[in-house]
Amino acid sequence: MNVQNNGTPDAPRLRGTLHATLGAVILALAALAPGLAHSDTIKIGVPVPLSGSSAAAGTDILNGAKLAAAKINAAGGVLGKQIELVPEDDACDAQTAVQAAQKLVDAGVVAVAGGYCSSAALPELSAFHRAGIPYVLDASTNPKLTEMGYNTVFRTIGRDDQQGPFAASFMKNALRARTAAVIDDNTTYSKGLAQNTVDALKKMGVDVVYAESITPGQMDYSPTLTKVASLKPDVIYYTGYFSEAGMLVKEARQLGLKMTIMGGDATNDPTLMKTAGPAADGMIITTSPLAQFLSGAHDYVDQYTKTYGQGPGPYSVYEYDAVGVTAKAIADAKSTKPAAIAAALHKINSYPGLTGTIGFDPKGDRSRAVYITIIVRGDEFEPYQRQDASGKWEMMK
Amino acid sequence: MRAQASRASGRTQTSWLVAIVLLAAAIALPAFASGYVVDVGLTIITYAILGLGLNIVVGYAGLLDLGYAAFFAIGAYTTALLETLLHFSFWATLPFSIVFAGASGVVIGYPTLRLRSDYLAIVTLGFGEITRIVATNLDITGGPNGIYGIDPPSLFGFEISSPHAVYELGMAFFIVVLLFAVRLGRSRLGRAWTSIREDEAAAEAVGVATLRVKMLAYVMGALIGGLAGSLFAARFGTIDPTAFTYLQSVTILIIVVMGGRGSIPGVILGAVIVAGLPELLRFLNLWRIFGFAVALVALMLLRPQGLWPARIRRAAPRPEEEKRAHEAEAAEAQGKESAAAVAIADSGAIDAAAARETLMQVSNLERRFGGVRAIGGISFEVRSGEILALIGPNGAGKTTVFNCLTGVIRPTGGQIRWRGEPLGAGAPHRNVHRGIARTFQGIRLFNHMSAFENVLIGMDHRLHTPFVAELVGTRAARSEAAEHAALGQRWLDLVGIGARASEYASDLPYGDQRRLEIARALASQPRLLLLDEPAAGMNPTEKHALMAQIRRIRDLGVTVLLIEHDMALVMGVSDRIIVMDHGEIIAEGAPAQIQNDPVVIDAYLGTAEEDDGPDATDGEKSLWS
Amino acid sequence: MSTFLQFVVEGLTIGSFYALVALGYTMVYGIIRLINFAHGDLFMVGAFVGWTALGTLAAARLPLALALVVAFAASMLATGALGVAIARVAYQPLLRAPRLSILITALGISLLLENGVLIAYGAGFRTYPHLLTQTGFDVLQVHITFAQVGIVAASFALMLGLYLFVHHTFIGTAMRALAIDQDAARLMGIDVERLIQLTFFIGSALAAVAGVMEGLFYTQINFFMGFVLGLRAFTAAVLGGIGNIPGAMVGGFLIGLLEAFGAGYVSSQWTDVFVFGVLIAVLVVKPTGLFGERVVERM
Repeated sequence: MNVQNNGTPDAPRLRGTLHATLGAVILALAALAPGLAHSDTIKIGVPVPLSGSSAAAGTDILNGAKLAAAKINAAGGVLGKQIELVPEDDACDAQTAVQAAQKLVDAGVVAVAGGYCSSAALPELSAFHRAGIPYVLDASTNPKLTEMGYNTVFRTIGRDDQQGPFAASFMKNALRARTAAVIDDNTTYSKGLAQNTVDALKKMGVDVVYAESITPGQMDYSPTLTKVASLKPDVIYYTGYFSEAGMLVKEARQLGLKMTIMGGDATNDPTLMKTAGPAADGMIITTSPLAQFLSGAHDYVDQYTKTYGQGPGPYSVYEYDAVGVTAKAIADAKSTKPAAIAAALHKINSYPGLTGTIGFDPKGDRSRAVYITIIVRGDEFEPYQRQDASGKWEMMK
Repeated sequence: MRAQASRASGRTQTSWLVAIVLLAAAIALPAFASGYVVDVGLTIITYAILGLGLNIVVGYAGLLDLGYAAFFAIGAYTTALLETLLHFSFWATLPFSIVFAGASGVVIGYPTLRLRSDYLAIVTLGFGEITRIVATNLDITGGPNGIYGIDPPSLFGFEISSPHAVYELGMAFFIVVLLFAVRLGRSRLGRAWTSIREDEAAAEAVGVATLRVKMLAYVMGALIGGLAGSLFAARFGTIDPTAFTYLQSVTILIIVVMGGRGSIPGVILGAVIVAGLPELLRFLNLWRIFGFAVALVALMLLRPQGLWPARIRRAAPRPEEEKRAHEAEAAEAQGKESAAAVAIADSGAIDAAAARETLMQVSNLERRFGGVRAIGGISFEVRSGEILALIGPNGAGKTTVFNCLTGVIRPTGGQIRWRGEPLGAGAPHRNVHRGIARTFQGIRLFNHMSAFENVLIGMDHRLHTPFVAELVGTRAARSEAAEHAALGQRWLDLVGIGARASEYASDLPYGDQRRLEIARALASQPRLLLLDEPAAGMNPTEKHALMAQIRRIRDLGVTVLLIEHDMALVMGVSDRIIVMDHGEIIAEGAPAQIQNDPVVIDAYLGTAEEDDGPDATDGEKSLWS
Repeated sequence: MSTFLQFVVEGLTIGSFYALVALGYTMVYGIIRLINFAHGDLFMVGAFVGWTALGTLAAARLPLALALVVAFAASMLATGALGVAIARVAYQPLLRAPRLSILITALGISLLLENGVLIAYGAGFRTYPHLLTQTGFDVLQVHITFAQVGIVAASFALMLGLYLFVHHTFIGTAMRALAIDQDAARLMGIDVERLIQLTFFIGSALAAVAGVMEGLFYTQINFFMGFVLGLRAFTAAVLGGIGNIPGAMVGGFLIGLLEAFGAGYVSSQWTDVFVFGVLIAVLVVKPTGLFGERVVERM
């Protein structure tokens, strides 16, 4: 006979203990509300993933923020006060993110610089907007973030709907491709970039023979690649992350595919070359400029490597600039009121950042976002081609 | 027993008071806590609602569901799509999201509920994943981006968008769901779920429509999941598929099991911990989830029944119901009629019994198991009002015949007619509803329920008031429930265990357990009662009482068909005997005939000559002297 | 036609991994009726142990074959031992507790393993050295690499070995007896606790082999790699009839083929829908899986 034990009858004493525990937990949570005394620092929030699979990227971004804050503080801070960074883990998850944002609001931050996953950035943005606190994004490229009609959102990074046409133009004009295959990994960022690219390609008259998604987390994409091969595209553009990109390029070469393979800016990580080995050679990636290729960022790269023991990841330098431009706005506004800071940010149009001159358009997007292409040679990235002012493609030195 | 009952109600009253105080504190939270705490509180509320919903499926009905997030998703997407595409107001989307979620519960439940529990797990997981992937891949659901721009609900012109306001909305939903879950647990459906969890086959055999009841568990859980989804959409204003992953389903399951499966306060506590603990552990950063995992494993090892396990049901009849039962008994003893609702004897049945008409007709019944012919083309009749015994050596096929008559297995040949109509190949519970009840060779009671509740389950399918009325607690529902309870007490009195109504079935002594099984079978007011070896394990005194019991049952108009090995009992109580051997009937007739039939003696009873010699068993000899 | 055959080759390769891991699920379930949710993560741990072993051996300049043998052996032993440890600490104490509790414990162990590796090795991806040759040959316009052949062959060999072990050795027979009736087995003098641990050891070792092979073949490993694969392998085990060893093998290859055809003819994003759809369809028709036995209940 199948007897299942549902539990034991509770003695009243035990239940009382549990009641007490429950009450204590609620009170503890309530007590977590940080008591806010008037402080002598200017608090800038940094919401990034510090746990889970994106933790490495989040930590990298936070490191960039720390370097920026250290530099500013060493020079005397802003308005006579020191900058205090308040990092919070958003775990790349909407519910955790909204709680992280609320925590920052309660902690009294006057501005926020950070963000990584778009799915977390969006709920964070709503929370910050409700409190009137400006949010300067360093890595979230989803166009929706600046299309909400908020005047408190800003970006030091470009948007996917700028990268897409850029990639399409490269494929058409630099590679002279007539047919193309675009693969994404069915996540928000990747699909957005893919759709922008496909639209741009079609407008330019390139025949898109394949535009589907793969499921990340698998290892073997040979069936998809076999199908793509049978359609004979001149170029394959993958808009997902470096992990899958490595698998894809390796398996493609294994199957004997010879066409050019390209990746979007989430593929710009050296793990790509480690995974694919010699197969990755010649792969071209569209990306915001990496710190290593920015002429003004050599000192930053050295300092980062010295402080943290490894080179900076792709986004930390954009975070460095995000913190910097925020501090500038605070100085311009001569106030630590979030509304004033937001207004001052809107007025900035030529802040000399490491990633180039920074200005914001009315939506908050970076008015002169730059993209470049880089190419894999051996186990290094090298700058490849970029567009000059007239849109012509030229090799970078 | 009275003292016990009042002490129990005193304890319940304190519990209610504490619950109300905590609830009031929770409602008042936004007034004195920061926005962050309110946000965490809202996450806790969402998880508590989800936990209560899954608790119905996993805790009450015992079904392992690993894809509960699917209902969460369906509710959220329904609200999101109706608001953004068709410009419904939030309140208008609620009935749709609940109904769609419930409908999907039917769709998922229908193919899966026949599966064993572990297969159920993977299939529900599959449905959960399919839902999420479909939402991710289709354009109409926004693909991986999901749906943006969901307007917050507004009430009388007041927009519910600040964390504090949404929190109160969530609190309101939570209270509704809480009341629903509590009432559900106490209803006939709650009893049915517990019985299925205890012993599904036995539940089916006493009249519980197990498949439908399991389906209802799914649907109720789905409704609540859908409601939680709508709340989620309202809170964030945007939804995307990453909120509805397999990990989300697992999280909700952890809440239910860690808190205490089937226990409402346990589930709430589980939600507080699962949503709140990671927040408290923020300082651990990378070690956060690792720390949570360690705590989870430790908790399961130290306290596998959960933090706040459910108290095992111990329902007992209330004093006034007992009084009613005794009054009816007294009236009938004096020859007067008792109130119809509490009358045990069904006059129609008594009349029919006296008529000795053919109640059941079995023609050429055959049942094979692979190459083995357990029953090979037997035919017999059962006449109303008689006590018919089915005897034969072990392996003759007697229990198989019972199983065929009660619909547990399907005959591979032949036909059974019940009161003139063919007995279809439906589920066993249908046969119970048509008037055939049974007990089992090995006792199959619902061990963790009281004797009283065991009997109630046998009677539940006769309740007339609709289920919704019972949930709400209308006067008609309450009065029928009281009559029901009084009648249940009478059945217990009839078999002689009336004083032990509130004890756990597993605590009863063996003889009383057998009696309880009979009471439970009788409670469905059958025309035919099948007793499978009712005297097994009884001493002679108990066997005499059993014989009197069987006669009293027949006097109430219930025909009895019994399988028994104790020949004294069989000969003493039966009107007619059928003898089986190797799947066939070898003799049929009155006890005196059978006793002397040489074929029967040869196959089963044994002859005097064969008894001489070293193999002689004294027991057998003494039967015939 | 050649595309179809190419898909078959790819499906069999993918399926080998699922089959090897499915064996562990099915063996543990057969013995103690537990769905070991942590099993996919043992596959992941095996891959990481192999990576560490190869990294340490790199300095020793051993011949390739020897290095591989050592890496496999180290991974099998370590992962097997870990499986046994988990069984002793977390599962065996709960064998008499409610079924759901042990299930949640398994989920907790899964989280523990994933995050433990995350902390120890970091969230980034690690890459195996490129040791396998990329060369292959063409047959009927289908490109097959030697590595693929090796993987499928190795999986077959291991499964055959396991089958022979379970059906033709004394210990294997004892395991089968244990799966049928634990109490009766105990009464026959079988050391039930030891056998349970042996089952975990074998299942975990097989998963480790799959993990190292995965690392060698696909090069990239990370702390989350056991998740998708574990889910598909578990589906394979159920498809074949959980508790049934040949069923797990067949199920694994079937799921691999389904994945290949699904991705090839429709799109990779619908793979899981196909896989689960087929599973549900099979279970509706055959509620105990393709090779599962009907459990007869005696009334």
